[in-house]
Amino acid sequence: MVIAMPSEPGSLQVPLWRALAVFRFASLAYVGILVLRNAAGYAHPIAALPVLLLMLGWTVLAAYAYARPAWRGWPLLLADLLAALGVLLVTPFVVGHAAMTGGGPTLGVAWVGGPVVAWAISGGRRRGTVAALLLAGADLVVRGGFNQSWLNGATLMLLAALAVGHVARLAVTAEERLQRAVELEAATRERERLARGIHDSVLQVLALVQRRGAHLDGEAGELARLAGEQEAALRSLITTRPADDGGNCALDLRTVLARYTAPTVSIAAPATPVWLPDRLAREVGAAVGAALDNVARHAGGQAWVLVEEEPDAVTVSVRDEGPGIPPGRLAEAADQGRLGVAQSIQARLAELGGSARIHSTPGEGTEVELIVPRPPG
Amino acid sequence: MSEPTPVRVMVVDDHPMWREGVARDLTEAGHLVVATSGEGRQAVRIAAAVRPDVVVLDLQLPDVSGVEVIRRLVTALPEVRVLMLSASGEQQSVLDAVKAGATGYLLKSASPAEFLDAVGRTAQGEPVFTPGLAGLVLGEYRRLASQPGPAGGREAAPRLTERETEVLRLVAKGMSYKQIAQRLGLSHRTVQNHVQNTLGKLQLHNRVELTRYAIEQGLGD
Repeated sequence: MVIAMPSEPGSLQVPLWRALAVFRFASLAYVGILVLRNAAGYAHPIAALPVLLLMLGWTVLAAYAYARPAWRGWPLLLADLLAALGVLLVTPFVVGHAAMTGGGPTLGVAWVGGPVVAWAISGGRRRGTVAALLLAGADLVVRGGFNQSWLNGATLMLLAALAVGHVARLAVTAEERLQRAVELEAATRERERLARGIHDSVLQVLALVQRRGAHLDGEAGELARLAGEQEAALRSLITTRPADDGGNCALDLRTVLARYTAPTVSIAAPATPVWLPDRLAREVGAAVGAALDNVARHAGGQAWVLVEEEPDAVTVSVRDEGPGIPPGRLAEAADQGRLGVAQSIQARLAELGGSARIHSTPGEGTEVELIVPRPPG
Repeated sequence: MSEPTPVRVMVVDDHPMWREGVARDLTEAGHLVVATSGEGRQAVRIAAAVRPDVVVLDLQLPDVSGVEVIRRLVTALPEVRVLMLSASGEQQSVLDAVKAGATGYLLKSASPAEFLDAVGRTAQGEPVFTPGLAGLVLGEYRRLASQPGPAGGREAAPRLTERETEVLRLVAKGMSYKQIAQRLGLSHRTVQNHVQNTLGKLQLHNRVELTRYAIEQGLGD
């Protein structure tokens, strides 16, 4: 059985890696703008050009390399960190020591945050923090001491490491849960498939016992009859398994009625679920139950239930071939203040906004027809 | 119950005791069991060779689905009649089997007498409906009618005439053809024709749908 898998592991982190690539290019553009603005004051303005080209080269390479899951290992992460450290360390040479101790921006500016984010995505908060501290340390060395710019940069890198690390961990957890859910679903389906096969053979055997023993007397005949009852019960259980209503608090009327299946009760219904609001379905079920009880008590023998679905109403009829109700009998019961089964069913349906009709021909049986309007939608 | 005219029957069921039991009942009733099989593919091959009048088929087979077997049987032998038996009465597969071309359906819990009667009627081309099957067929027509037609080709969904609906509802309520004929003032034969038409239209629609699907998928010849 093929089940949609959430592709390969780590797929939920793919958007994070893409965002990192975008961050690198955007921060590199910012570096370019700053260099253009400040180059006039640099100690060695010409030297900024090869540094910028190397940064561009690494940005492209990193974007390409991090897009491949198999390459996102320690060599790449270390190389990434070394590239950022390199940019930091050459800064005093290009910009001049005075500008650095004065609190000016390093050549990398936010670009050196790239490896911090990469470490945080690949290993969570802790790994991201390690990268942030290493870079902050290098920054401190480059600036030759503590100043406000250094504090700003270090804090931002640490916060980025914590935030990204947290999100990356969430993605991993979510993915594990999804994976477990998918496995559970696969297991459930497999179990259902096996159960169908087993149920089918059990039904076969029960039906066989019933069939072979039907004409026997005494205990054997009784066994056959019991097998027949169990066959009907099991069949109703497996043919109408609850369907998903999409959270509408609706019930499939077929499932509600399935419990009345018996050797003496035939239930005919569409192959697709017949949705009714929860309460309505239960009330209809109870009304059908009352009608079937009545059949068992007065008519005996077989009963047939038919469920029909119209666009705006659901009709359920219960028919028997018993002696029927003599004409005037219903009215007579009502006059005497007795509430017969028929009236109680009619009252129940009226309360639901529906109606119940009772046709009966003496000697030919009785048919109760319940009509329930269905709420739109 | 069943008529003395012997019917050439093939029994397809993967359960050996069932197969034997059913075959014995048929033989005792004077019918001719021309073949038995426990597998779908083998059954189609054998049926093509022995050309039975009626195939009694269990819907649950180990190799191919019963519905697929019916489709292949009906394609290979347009004259053959299929009476399907199902232990579970699983509704969608029963409906699919009828759409694929089966003309009769019985639960396995039916008595031997009911079964023999069904075989006799199936052989005469009479549709054998349980009330449950009639309910499924009624539901299917309503479903088709409420469905928006397919986008491109405006293939009208099959519809039942008022009479056909009336007859089918009575079948679903457990009435025999004879009782229905009496109630509606029709002949037995007319009632039977109405039931047959409800099946025929569904099967035709199914074939058209399958062909359209095949063409859309580029599989059509």
